[in-house]
Amino acid sequence: MLEVLDRARLVVVTGKGGTGKTTVAAGLAVAAAGRGRRVLVAEVEGRQGLAGLFGRAELEHREVRVGDGVHALAVDPDESLREYLARYGFAPLARLLTWAHLNRFITAAAPGLGDVLLVGKVWEAATRELRPGSAAYDLVVLDAPPTGRVVPFLRAPETVAELARVGPIRSQADRVRALLDDPGLTAVALTCLPEELPVAETLEGVAALRRAGLPVAGVVANRVTGDRLGGRAGRLAALAGDPAPLAAAAAAAGADLDGAALGTLVGEARDRQRQVTRERRLLKELRGGLDGLPLVELPFLAGGVAGPDEVRALAGHLGPASAEARAPRRARRAAGAARG
Amino acid sequence: MTRQRAARTRAPAVASPLAELARTARIVVCCGSGGVGKTTTAAAVALWAAEGGRRTCVLTIDPARRLAQALGLDLLSNAPRPVKLPGMAGPGSLDAMMLDMRRTFDEVIERYARDPDQADRILANRFYRRLSSTLAGTQEYMAMEKLYELHESQRYDLLVVDTPPTRSALDFLDAPENLNELLDARAFRLLIAPAQRIGRGYLRGLNLATTAMTKMVRRVSGSELLAEVGEFFAAFEGMYDGFKERAGLVYDQLRHPSTAFVVVATPDGPALREAAYFAGRLAADRMPLGALVVNRIHRAGTVPRVPAAARRRLADLGADGRLLADLLELHDGLETLAAAEQRRVRDLLATVPNLGVVQVPLLPDDVHDLEGLRRLGRYLFA
Repeated sequence: MLEVLDRARLVVVTGKGGTGKTTVAAGLAVAAAGRGRRVLVAEVEGRQGLAGLFGRAELEHREVRVGDGVHALAVDPDESLREYLARYGFAPLARLLTWAHLNRFITAAAPGLGDVLLVGKVWEAATRELRPGSAAYDLVVLDAPPTGRVVPFLRAPETVAELARVGPIRSQADRVRALLDDPGLTAVALTCLPEELPVAETLEGVAALRRAGLPVAGVVANRVTGDRLGGRAGRLAALAGDPAPLAAAAAAAGADLDGAALGTLVGEARDRQRQVTRERRLLKELRGGLDGLPLVELPFLAGGVAGPDEVRALAGHLGPASAEARAPRRARRAAGAARG
Repeated sequence: MTRQRAARTRAPAVASPLAELARTARIVVCCGSGGVGKTTTAAAVALWAAEGGRRTCVLTIDPARRLAQALGLDLLSNAPRPVKLPGMAGPGSLDAMMLDMRRTFDEVIERYARDPDQADRILANRFYRRLSSTLAGTQEYMAMEKLYELHESQRYDLLVVDTPPTRSALDFLDAPENLNELLDARAFRLLIAPAQRIGRGYLRGLNLATTAMTKMVRRVSGSELLAEVGEFFAAFEGMYDGFKERAGLVYDQLRHPSTAFVVVATPDGPALREAAYFAGRLAADRMPLGALVVNRIHRAGTVPRVPAAARRRLADLGADGRLLADLLELHDGLETLAAAEQRRVRDLLATVPNLGVVQVPLLPDDVHDLEGLRRLGRYLFA
């Protein structure tokens, strides 16, 4: 994933529902920021999933700084519609729509328009320039809809533009497509769990994205159980029958563990090892189906991912912070300005 | 180990809130986010009720392939098919159906059309085809529509349905209203044909506005689509009342005490947050919330505390000592995990008064056959 974090303009994070899309999007954003890039992470499904990961109660349709080098945004369809209409000279109409609660009708009359607006907003942020040649963000990370919906979502501008051969809709769709289809600018990452259905759905998702011509960059396997025991797990079956070696060690160390306690410990370790074995098998199957695409594993965190601390820990697995980025940001920016 | 196993299978002191539902409810709706075992839970509830003697049908949206095969659902069909239950005696039976929401909407149109010609015109309309797949909640509402139809047929004692694995699953609660509002919207019909509907003079302001809006929609979507929208509304004329009345009946049935919503979750943060959202949403719409099922609960056995000094000594005692030290750490991790899960479940229950909860331990294997569903049932109904 490292290469993508350093190079891409837009990283789209998708995956089966419940596989940790939002967590991985936040982790990728923090990892890229740790490597010195100015990052915007955006969610589009109105779930407010990102807010808590950055220690906030709520995010709005407004880019706010949520960490060192990271801004966050919750894209709102109604706000996007207003912005969109205003941009094309329909500001009074936008006010009328809001007044008459007619936004829903507009999106029903032109299905996919809602997605067009969301994708358009993300495209706008990813290509925005503060002044010519100076991008507002180095990277936009999009917490996108789940695998089953992501292709129609990303292709919505195209779909709606089919009905318009010329005009603003057409030209915007062309520009969005130019960004999304360029593997040098855009990277789609899929999240997965080491479980049967998510693995199958991830492989189907990769195939569907490729068929749609979207640049798939890799898969992040989330919540992978750590293999603490390795080869020693082979001893567990024998120890379950006869825990004498462990009893001897416990006695020698002065640990108060009777046969029942040792039985519990060995039993729990065996359950966990079965889990590890099953996950290994599924990850191997996944890797085999990925055809050389990068697969990054994130460890299962026993306490869950509650906030910025856990996100930082996961970001470390997605891409180590660069030495340069560890230098104070302001100094670097000054140096950059001097160079420029 | 044996002690731990015994603790896991011990029956809880209170009866499972699901047992009562499976015995008496007429409709059970399972909702929850993706990947929490919703389809499997729905299938296990249905199988349990069938083997308990009730004529049962399970409607699923997107079952895992192997589970679908176990239920004989290799094909998408919009009619229930019997599931073979080897060795089953007694009055119970199990049918299963994989719901084709699209087809259901078409059937509803066919039912309410004045004549086949009107139905054909609507079904062929491009705007209808898009509307039926994009308006939020429409597909989910169609699942409820099918549910109601089966309920009315009185072929079953119990219907179990699972909803799509998205937050929008409960958009069906808004869908009839959205649909009615849309079909009924004077403003929208004005937009379609401003020239005819708006007379001279006093509505000139509105006329200007709708003309601007028409221009915008034309610019966004192309005029062909707009023409189709007009045709759609013309074709739909006269069907509004039937639609509205039906939506009211479906709603009354969902709110009826013989219906129960079951919220399914896993004990991780996002899934429980979604469960809280679902529970709140159902309460706001006065839908009968039956129980919360939390799948894949971790449990740690009882092990005396081993102080840090003894652990350090263990680490210096060669391979056996190091292994035991590692086993203790794995146990600590499991305890942390189990405690974090219980805390999260308690936090959720604190926000939903009087909700019965069933906790299902993490099972060693995926459930993909009838035997697996029965095993799961033992935990759900213990």
